This record gives sequence, structure tokens and C-alpha cells, in this order.
Amino acid sequence: MVEDEVNLLVIVVDVNPIWWGQQAQREPQFTLSKCLDAVMVMGNSHMAMTRTNRLAVIASHCQDSHFLYPSKSWRTGDSGGDDASSSGDGKYELLAVANNLIAEEIRNVMSRSKGNSTDTLLAGSLAKALCCILSMETASSFVIYDVIKAAEDCARQYMNFMNVIFAAQKQNILIDACVLDSESGLLQQACDITGGLYLKIPQRVALAQYLLWVFLPDSEQRSQLVLPPPAHVDYRAACFCHRNLIEIGYVCSVCLSIFCNFSPICTTCETAFKIQLPQMVKPKKKKLKQTM
Amino acid sequence: MASLSEEVLLVVKKVRQRKQDGTLYLMAERIAWGPEGKDRFTVSHLYADIRCQKISPDGKAKVQLQLVLHTGESTTFHFANDSSALKDRDATKELLQQLLPKFKKKANKELEEKNRMLQEDPVLFQLYKDLVVSQVISAEEFWANRLGGINNTDPAVCNNKQEVGISGAFLADIRPQTDGCNGLRYNLTADIIESIFRTYPAVKQKYSENVPHNLTEKEFWTRFFQSHYFHRDRINTGTQDIFSECAKQDEKGLKSLVIQGVKNPLVDLLSLEDKTLDEGYGICTTLPSTSNANKTVKESSNSAIIKRFNHHSAMVLAAGSRKGDAPTDQASETSSTDGNSRDSDFFQPPVKKVKLQEAIEYEDLQRENRPKTVALNLKKSDRYAHGPVPLQSQQYTTSQDIINSVNYIRHEMMNYKPNLTEVLSSTAASSAIAALSPGGVLMQAGAQQAINQMVPTEVQGELKHLYVAAGELLRHFWSCFPVNTPFLEEKVMKMKSNLERFQMTKLCPFQEKIQRQYLSTNLTGHLEEMLQTAYSKFHIWQTRRMMRKT
Repeated sequence: MVEDEVNLLVIVVDVNPIWWGQQAQREPQFTLSKCLDAVMVMGNSHMAMTRTNRLAVIASHCQDSHFLYPSKSWRTGDSGGDDASSSGDGKYELLAVANNLIAEEIRNVMSRSKGNSTDTLLAGSLAKALCCILSMETASSFVIYDVIKAAEDCARQYMNFMNVIFAAQKQNILIDACVLDSESGLLQQACDITGGLYLKIPQRVALAQYLLWVFLPDSEQRSQLVLPPPAHVDYRAACFCHRNLIEIGYVCSVCLSIFCNFSPICTTCETAFKIQLPQMVKPKKKKLKQTM
Repeated sequence: MASLSEEVLLVVKKVRQRKQDGTLYLMAERIAWGPEGKDRFTVSHLYADIRCQKISPDGKAKVQLQLVLHTGESTTFHFANDSSALKDRDATKELLQQLLPKFKKKANKELEEKNRMLQEDPVLFQLYKDLVVSQVISAEEFWANRLGGINNTDPAVCNNKQEVGISGAFLADIRPQTDGCNGLRYNLTADIIESIFRTYPAVKQKYSENVPHNLTEKEFWTRFFQSHYFHRDRINTGTQDIFSECAKQDEKGLKSLVIQGVKNPLVDLLSLEDKTLDEGYGICTTLPSTSNANKTVKESSNSAIIKRFNHHSAMVLAAGSRKGDAPTDQASETSSTDGNSRDSDFFQPPVKKVKLQEAIEYEDLQRENRPKTVALNLKKSDRYAHGPVPLQSQQYTTSQDIINSVNYIRHEMMNYKPNLTEVLSSTAASSAIAALSPGGVLMQAGAQQAINQMVPTEVQGELKHLYVAAGELLRHFWSCFPVNTPFLEEKVMKMKSNLERFQMTKLCPFQEKIQRQYLSTNLTGHLEEMLQTAYSKFHIWQTRRMMRKT
């Protein structure tokens, strides 16, 4: 029997409580519940497409990142399973179980929310997802990870983020991004480098439609479909002194920090540099012969 | 007309060609014939063009020589000098025999090289077909820049002619033949003489000293063979021979070789293998010194003596160590070998030590010597945390807002139950689909179709060929500037006419063809632009030249 290809889809959902709390007050028709419903629809569709497709869902919170599915507490035949089988709508059992688990876990996660920090730990979630992928990966060929992002980028996570992106690229893992609020430069780079799709959604209410249309097909199928073209990514770096985007700059050869102006000492690592300026040719003064 | 500076190697008068009397001249690079009375050559062939020469058989009345060229044509010369026709013809034939091989290889090699280049590189072949076969530029211009490679390497190869080695048996080859009456006849060829000189430099020295002022060559060699130096016994005391010194020199040489000793007593015999010398039989390496050559040949002739000496020395040593007496006085050679062996007891040659060391120690078991690294010392390490990312406007939320939001969301999610039947309304879905369809809000950037999907592949291929050909012509054109010499002037004008011809014969038909195929894209715009730039540059140059002249 031919071994089927295992396609693994990992969905990372940004459940920043502050943003979602504010969002719920701004736009009551699209709240975290709706978002999670849409995510579940996508997860179900993915699992329904092929028997060997697998799913993982991670909630990225301010305090931690948590696996909503598969969860450690999942055991077949426990009380959760009973609920599912008695849902009565003839749903594929795996999907029912998954949905219930996700719902239960998210309830747990959100009930533990405290307002200590405001930044989503996205890099951490991505890293966890990457570990999960690598641990699950036996015969799997396609892995796609879909990041649904709500809040803004956190600059402090830059290094970790970039490391995760490069690791994903090395492992041929596609990172897609579905952005709800503000454009994220980091995710744009991530999608560009790994070959995934970046999309900022104009209508949040139709999230499920966007997810199914754009992000559900796997990489092979995407080449046959007409999907939104990749956006132009601004790869310009920002200088370390002013945090302005620059096109040409000076780079310290010791610590690789970028500056917009030359300074004889690098402020990050305190290395001294000399630059040879072009020699100024002094005009020779011709001695005028004075006639007496 | 022959330039006056050509070197004339042979002149043969009274040579008829096509029933006309004339003179045959053999120059350094060509052979030429001019009719009697006129000072122009009507027939001239480069040696490189001549494939082979043929002569009429000896018995025939007419003494003729025929030259067959590579192209297939042949020219016949009839040597009509009554007295010396045969001699003339033979002299010519021999000279040609010497000269032709030199030029033959060059010509063939060039052709071969050209053929090989054309076969290996299909782009080059296509370019050749486009430009040379259709007469846009001439073949010489085409090959002018490309054959630089072989012409540069050729002289280097030709100059380092392989050195012929010395046959080990050359002395044996000089077998004397009995001359009938009690004499011996030695046949010496130039090769043997050269071998003798290379093996015995002392003999060469004597030769250069004595010949030709004191002795003739024949006398020299006679004395050489008569001398005891040549013979095996080498009892060279007494006889006043010019060669007695040579014998002394030889002995000195042998002593110095012995003193040098063996550098590496732990010679790894297993590593010796048959190494093939690559093309040229190692001509790039320097010649082995004659002393080594000396050794290899002398070994065969002196091995008996050496064996005797060695045995003698070993016996003396053994006797010495048993009795403790000083060894008795021997010939200088033995004492030197003795001295050597004693010396070697005192200090071990350094190479041996190294070898032993290597055999005993293991590198990986020793302490690691990592290259010294300098630690990176950062004063502002938080810069690494955020990296080269521009500042973004932070949205500040008050703590009250935070608390409110958190409470709200907790409240909301406390009773979360997935409601998957009401995830999407049809209006929302259709507007999303509209945005994602071609022409929708999100699909704007991808509206342009790639040009390579609209143009058929053969048209693309033709365009590529056109670009390659145009590039080649333009390269020739632009390399003429700045125009300093009259040769460049001519070339620039020729290239301009070539470019025009190219445009006429290749570019315009192509343009018409794509127009007929209703391809609206402008594929040849860039090519035309390049040609226009070349024309305008030519025009400017021409007007400037006119102005300078007036």
C-alpha cells in the first residue's frame, strides 16, 4: 500500500486579550469567538480533505503559547468523547473531537488571562509550532503554518522571529500570514522568505472565506490557482542610531550593527574605525618673481 | 610582392612553371616563383597552406616537384637546368621537408581548435552561422578575438620542446665494427655525441677546449676511444692523456655524491609508484641535473667498483669494532665512506627523527589548540533584541483600558461554544470572493501577464539569436573607439556598414514577421535603440573628423 503523504497544517492564532477585548467593543459582529469559529472551519476542512491530513492549533497569548489541539489531555474515550458522539449531527468524529477540544482549551486559556503584558508572544508560538512540526514529521511532506495575527508586531522579538523564519525556510516549511489589523513587516518577510502567502484582510467578518479560498490549498495546488500576488516587501534595514529606514549605510564589521552616518567608534561594541578620506591635493602656490 | 625583409633560404634558377621559365624562391614562411625577367611573383604559397609535396620518380626525363595544397589545388614545378636539375630538385625537396612540418601543425591545430570550439558551443555555432555564413562579417574578424587562447598557449608549448633523454645503453650502441684490417670503426651519430657530452661533462669541456684549434673532431674522438678513460680498467696513472683529468674529475664527483649521504634513511618504498607524466612528458619541470644523470648511467658502469668498496668498508668496520684498532689506511674513497658512517652515529639525521615522531604520536590525542578568538563585547545589547527594525508608533493603552479589555474577553470566552453553522453570511462570502477574483481589490498587482507567456517560443528563440548576433557586432563596433589608427578607422566604417546590413537583412524581416502575427508587444525596441546609439556615435565621430580635416 502506498504511503499517503501527510500534510500538516499548523494554525497559530493571536489571542491577545487586550486587542480582542478592544475589538469586541469596536466591532461586536466580529469577536474572538467568530474568529475561532472561522479557524475551526478551516481546520475541519483541512482534516476532511484527506484522511492523512493533520492539524495543530496554537493560541498565542501574552503570557504564553498554548497548544489548543492536539492537547495533552486528549484521550480517546473520555468524557469529552462522549459529548462529541452525542452531538447528533452525524459529524465525522475526529472533527467533533477537535472542535470540542479547541473550545475547551481556549476557554481555559482566556480565563487565565491577566493584563500583565500587552505583547503577543508570537515568536515563541512559532518556535513551538516548529518544534511540534519537527517532532511530528515522519513521512510528512507538506507543512504549512498559518498565522492569524491581530495585534501589532513586537520589536523586541525580532531576533527570535528571524531565527524561527530561517529555521522554517531550511526545513521547507511554508509560513502564511493572515493579518487582521495592522500590516506586519516581520510576517511579510517570513512569507516572502519561506514562499508562503501574506494577506491583509479587508473584511474581518468574511475571515472564513478568506481562509478557505487562499490558505487552505497546499503548495502544490497553489501553483494551479490564481491567488493574490505576493506583495512587494520592504527589506530596507533601519539604522541603529535613529531607527530610520535607510538604503545605504555603514556596517560595523565586528558587531554588524548598521548606522546611517560614519562615526569613528561603533556605539554598540566600541570598536574604533578609521576611514581613509581621499587625499586633498593642495594647489601649489606658484612663487611670483618679484621684479625689483 | 615580397617584402624586402623576408629571409630567402634557397634560390633555384631555371625552374619552369606552366611552360614558363622562371626562378623559384624559398623563403622563411612561403615558397614563391616568379617568371624570368619580371620581378613579381606569380605563384606564392605559404608553407602552412601546403599539404604535401610530390616528386616525379627518379627514372623520368622530366624532373618535377608538385605541391599539393589543403584546398586541393596543385602546382607543378619543372626543374629545367640541364646540369643540375636533379640536384636542384632534391635540394628543394629536402628544404621543404624540413620546413613543412613546422608550419603544418600550426595550421591544422588552428582549424581543429576552431572546429572544436564551434562544436562545443552551440551558441557560438549559431552566431557563426548568423554572421559569417550570411556574410555580415568576415571569418577573420569573427575569429580574431576568440583564437587568442590557443595562439597564446601555442608558442609556449612549441618552445618547450621535449628534451630527449639519454638512452641508458648508448655506450653499448657504439659497437665498433672491424674495419677489415686490424682497425675498429666506431659509428658516431649526433645523438650519441650529445649523450656522451651530457653524461660526461668533463669530456664536453675537453672537446670545447681542443676542437677545432688543437685537434679535428675526428682526431678527438679517435683519441677518446683510444684513451684508457673510455675503457673499463681505468688505470690512468702515467699516461699523459687529455682525458686523464676527466677521470680525476669523475672521482671527485663521485666523492661529493657520497658525502651528501642519504637524506631520508626511512624511505617509504611502498609509496613509490608508477607516476605517469602528463602531456609533454613533464616538460614543464626543470631538467634533471646532469649529476643525477651521471649517477644513473655511472651506476651501471661503476657498480662493481662500488660494491667492492662497500664490502671492504663493512669488513674494515667489523674488524675495527672487534679489535678496537683504528682501521688501516685505505684509498681515499673508503675513508670517506667510513667517516660518513661514523658521523652518522653521532647525530641522527633530522628527517628520521621527525618520521619516528610522526609514527608515535597521534594528533587528536593531544590538547586542542583552538585558534584564539576575541569575545564580542556589546555595550548596547538591546539593539540586538529589536534589530534593524524601524520604530513603530506605539499604541498606548491605559491600564484601565487593559483591565477592561481583559475582563471583557474573559467574560466573552467563558461561555464560548463553537457555532459553526453561522460562521459566514452569504453576502460577506460573495464580497470576499469578489475581492479575490481576478480584477478584485486584492488582485491588482498581478494583472500584468508575463511577457514570456504571450510570445511563442520560436519567436523568443529567434529574438535571442538576434540579440547574440547584434551584441557581437556592437562589441566589434564599440571596441574601435577611440579611433586612433587608420586601421581602426577602416574597421569602424566597416562595422557601421555591417550593422546596417544586419538591420536590413535580419532585424527588419523579424519585425515584419511579428507584426504579421499580431503581437503588439515591442520586442525589438531595445535592439533598435542600441543600433541607433551606435549610428549616432558614428555620425558624431564622422562630423568631428570632417571638421578636423577642414
